[in-house]
Amino acid sequence: MRVAVIAGSIAAGMRVAREVEGVPGVELFVAVCDPGKRTPPVRWLREFALLAKSRKEWTAARLWRYARGRRLAVLGEGLNQPSSAERLRALRCDVGLHAANVIYSERTIAAFRLGILNAHIGILPAYRGRSVAEWSVLQGDRTGVTVFFIDSGIDTGERIVLRECISPKGSRGIGELKKVLFESDARLYRRALEALMAPGFQFECNETAKGRRYYVMSEMFTRVANEVLANRMRSRPAASLRTAS
Amino acid sequence: MSLETAHSKSALLEYRSDLLSKALLLRRCDLRDSWKEVIPENCLQSLGRLGWDVTAFLSEGEPASRAALPAGFTWLSCADDFWSNLQAIALAQKPHYETTAAPGRLAAAELREMAGPARCELLYTRYRCPLNIGAASEFDVAEEILRRLMVSDRAKIEKGADFDVEEVLLALNLLGVRALATRDLRSFDALNYFYELPRRSLVRMQAHPRLLAFWLCIYKQVLSTPDWLECALR
Repeated sequence: MRVAVIAGSIAAGMRVAREVEGVPGVELFVAVCDPGKRTPPVRWLREFALLAKSRKEWTAARLWRYARGRRLAVLGEGLNQPSSAERLRALRCDVGLHAANVIYSERTIAAFRLGILNAHIGILPAYRGRSVAEWSVLQGDRTGVTVFFIDSGIDTGERIVLRECISPKGSRGIGELKKVLFESDARLYRRALEALMAPGFQFECNETAKGRRYYVMSEMFTRVANEVLANRMRSRPAASLRTAS
Repeated sequence: MSLETAHSKSALLEYRSDLLSKALLLRRCDLRDSWKEVIPENCLQSLGRLGWDVTAFLSEGEPASRAALPAGFTWLSCADDFWSNLQAIALAQKPHYETTAAPGRLAAAELREMAGPARCELLYTRYRCPLNIGAASEFDVAEEILRRLMVSDRAKIEKGADFDVEEVLLALNLLGVRALATRDLRSFDALNYFYELPRRSLVRMQAHPRLLAFWLCIYKQVLSTPDWLECALR
């Protein structure tokens, strides 16, 4: 299976690649775009700064291996520009892994045979949209990550590959919880690719009618969600928390 | 589900409800103390007699008055016009309505494709009795109003760009009524979000003092509604 990480920086791409490149049967590429539409000098300064900050995620030898093997594609134009979609299509990848802060056009999605996977930090189909970790905590529902193939809507792609509930236990606030959820993307992409290649794999259906779209949460409700988490840390009713989440 | 698990869940729900009730009380106090920063004296004066009623309503202490709303209706018809009905709801009076058959369905896509002024006109006409925004048949339209408010209008306001004041305020009023009628937490939170915007972002809203005043009055009632989580999760 040919897979491309679509990342907003080389460092972000290498972080996901490090986890996924060991999956048997996967040939991996890293496609780097610039969602911020920066000028080339600013863009490259940012790239070097991010690489310097994330020394754990890459080595010069690994980076060189990707570059020399033509498995590192740095897109000069915006991701959804026809030329970028053409470059992505030329990679002849089956699956894209979303690791960039962008919204994909139909053309970009269609550049991958199966589509682009997204690790959404909420449990689908119940929680679509923004601030879903906060909303899940506030409403006492499970927190976690859903890996699914995107479409042009907001978390409405029909094909769910996997869902993993991740307990908020140990998170002292929403910020910490979201960090845990976001940072589980590479591990869950790996699991999703393994699942996709397993014989007899079947998608779960993302039945959007069973859920709601959520929006950015107010400070007032966010404070309440934070207090709920903080109290869990203080009282630690472990058994009941496992059930509730 | 074991008895112990059920008990733990209900204890957690009770705890979250308690936290939310405290947050609502704090916000009600904030609204009572600072609503004049949102709608200053000159705006109120432009409303004439209504300005006095709004002042009395927003300055009222606990417990705040709340409109008695019907439950489980299909469609309501009102003799009065949109403004009289919205005013009655905003000031926690009972609008005069009777149940009737629902009109033809309005598609969210139709609303999405309209230009701003035409969209407002359509909403004023369709929701002459504003309580109808809470009818089950209006779910898609209410979702479209919420989406537009929380995505495109919010982005414009936060960037300091021009936005359609009337449309934003109409959306806040209708979503407030929806929150009261259906206990939809997301609609409630849209009101929270806009109330929390920097005051300078809300100055332009003074161009529509009546809608601005009604929004604050409805927001006060939403904040005074008890048992949010229990009802929202039912």
